[in-house]
Amino acid sequence: MRTWTRSGALLAVAAVLMVAGCGRDAGEGTTDSAQPITAGEAKGDITVWAMGTEGEKLTAFAEDFMKANPSAKVKVTPIPWDGAHDKIATAIAGRQTPDVSLIGTTWMGEFAKTGGLDPLPGGVAEPGAFFPGAWNTAVFNGKPYGVPWYVETRLIYVNKDVAAKAGVAAAPKTWDELMAAAKAFKEKGGAAWGLSLQPGGTGSWQTVLPFVWQNGGDVTGGGTGFAFDSPQAVEALTYYESYFDSGVSPKDLPQGSLEPDFAAGKIGAFISGPWHIGLLKEQGAAGKFDLWHMPGKQKATSFVGGGNLAVFKDAKNRDGAWKFVSWLAKPEVQIKWYQASSDLPAVKAGWDDATLKGDVLLSAFGAQLSDAKAPPAIPTWEQIAAAFDTEMEKLVKTDETAANAAKAIQQKAVSIGTGA
Amino acid sequence: MRAATRVGWAFALPFTLLFLVFLVGPVLASLAMSFTDIRSADVRDPLAVTPIGLDNYARLFRDDQFVQAAGNTALVVLFGLPLTVALGLLAALGLNSGLIRFRAVFRVGYYLPVVTSIVAIAVVWRFLLQPESGLLNSLLRLVGIDGPNWLNDTNTALPAVIAMIVWRGLGFQMVIFLAGLQAIPQELYEAARIDGAGRWARFRHVTLPALRPTLLFVAVIGSIGLLQVFEEPFVMTRGGPLGSTLTVAQSVYSQFSFGNYGYASAMSYLLFVAIVLLSILWFRLLRTEESR
Repeated sequence: MRTWTRSGALLAVAAVLMVAGCGRDAGEGTTDSAQPITAGEAKGDITVWAMGTEGEKLTAFAEDFMKANPSAKVKVTPIPWDGAHDKIATAIAGRQTPDVSLIGTTWMGEFAKTGGLDPLPGGVAEPGAFFPGAWNTAVFNGKPYGVPWYVETRLIYVNKDVAAKAGVAAAPKTWDELMAAAKAFKEKGGAAWGLSLQPGGTGSWQTVLPFVWQNGGDVTGGGTGFAFDSPQAVEALTYYESYFDSGVSPKDLPQGSLEPDFAAGKIGAFISGPWHIGLLKEQGAAGKFDLWHMPGKQKATSFVGGGNLAVFKDAKNRDGAWKFVSWLAKPEVQIKWYQASSDLPAVKAGWDDATLKGDVLLSAFGAQLSDAKAPPAIPTWEQIAAAFDTEMEKLVKTDETAANAAKAIQQKAVSIGTGA
Repeated sequence: MRAATRVGWAFALPFTLLFLVFLVGPVLASLAMSFTDIRSADVRDPLAVTPIGLDNYARLFRDDQFVQAAGNTALVVLFGLPLTVALGLLAALGLNSGLIRFRAVFRVGYYLPVVTSIVAIAVVWRFLLQPESGLLNSLLRLVGIDGPNWLNDTNTALPAVIAMIVWRGLGFQMVIFLAGLQAIPQELYEAARIDGAGRWARFRHVTLPALRPTLLFVAVIGSIGLLQVFEEPFVMTRGGPLGSTLTVAQSVYSQFSFGNYGYASAMSYLLFVAIVLLSILWFRLLRTEESR
């Protein structure tokens, strides 16, 4: 049973004891209120979990914090992104958590719902200081359970040569203009594919949902709790599908060929986040591309992702933990953190600094962040997103219609529920 | 209790304890969980869940994705098992016949995929199966065939994954068969030869009957492995395209990640029942008089 031995620890906690006949109470998440933290310096050991680059760089970065708070000691444990979700879930179940952890934005609802996260105390961070889309990822049932640490958003990467050949001088302002530009890339610009979009499959919701938002649609709403089958959503899916039906977007781009093909002008444009600046540099395409904002419909919304910082209910050093989080969310610290890790600041003031303002490519991301949105922090989001991705794949690759796909997503989402 | 018995228990205790705590405990816990609506949000308070009887199991049969995964898994067993067993036996016969020189080289060669990291293998296979630049399609183009986009086509993805599973698994089967073949007394072959049995007759009436226990072993172990197949499709295709390589073990994995512990446990137990039934079938078919 190699596949699920990793869940063994969790199951052991849930244990043999489970007897019938006990009802669930109202849910811890709804009743707890934020307790204040003390003033003054942070003290004692502060244990932190962080994934990926963040985990590697945070130890050295926290030196400054320890200089300002001499009696505090920050201990960072780097953990890989791969097992992070389950590791945190297990820690919450076993009540053996660190004090602070980096939490993926789409996990917030789920972990907040367990009652394992400490509601944000007053004075740690001001909601208005952050990009609203990023702030909302930390809010569950109307209450914040953490603070955005860094953000990313999506823009349209455009090959300059292809655009010049196609005679597209300015960034499209509307859906129709974007479609026209993509067609021109293919027909006149010499690209095999005008605009590469994800043909469904894992994570494609991050590319598709912005079109729904641009059209005035939303994820939640209505009597059932979800609005995936709203006319706005259906229209957005129809628009998305039209890129594949008209042959402007590839239905099965082989893995790893996006960057080289884009650099070579075989792909005119694609939608992605700031990490592609570095990836394209590796392909020798630095300076050969432009970044376009999302086209407008009713709005010009993009997707916002990133990472949040949360403190656990079972934290041994709750005060110190929130003080460390508060420090990381300061504008000047956010800029230094950008310089150390390339993570983009979640705090708006961080973008006023010359470091980011002077960078044409990055400031494009900064501008888009003021109109960027994330799905609501509902505990079942990952599962709903997976259903969404499956239906998008059917929409793009089979003769499924947008209306039916929207209906199927809605049906699945309603049966999964919000889990709240 | 006699002293010797006590010493025996003392030696067995560490294992027994670990076995009870880390295997029997979770197994029973997940059985109990499969009859409740427990979700990841309940982990801090696991006793406060609602028992829902067989609802999780009933839901499985209405879940399109699970039904598709079950169908795919059945196909993996249906095609994967006979192919691995047949090819493993063939390789073992070849190595055992003494016709092949450098026997050790071949033995290592066939066994190497079994011990190689599955991720490394999957990366190489993905390269081989690339639609444009892949080795397989390049070879096909030489003979004028335009090869498909193997891993991105709903008709070819599962066969491609099964091919890799077979290639990877046959080394293990071969080693077991080789051991079985070497245990067959040469006298039997001599006697058969005196009776005028040809090559085929010797295989049919001496080798195969003597290999019955070995066949039972590889059939049972092979079925268990294939019913639980996870890594190969997970790293090659993530279950796609359109769920055509999704297996039951992957469904269990994703339901656990979604936090639906009760539902995922029900899936695991259904898989467990399938494993038990298939194993019983093999025992019925291949049991010999001695093993009864």
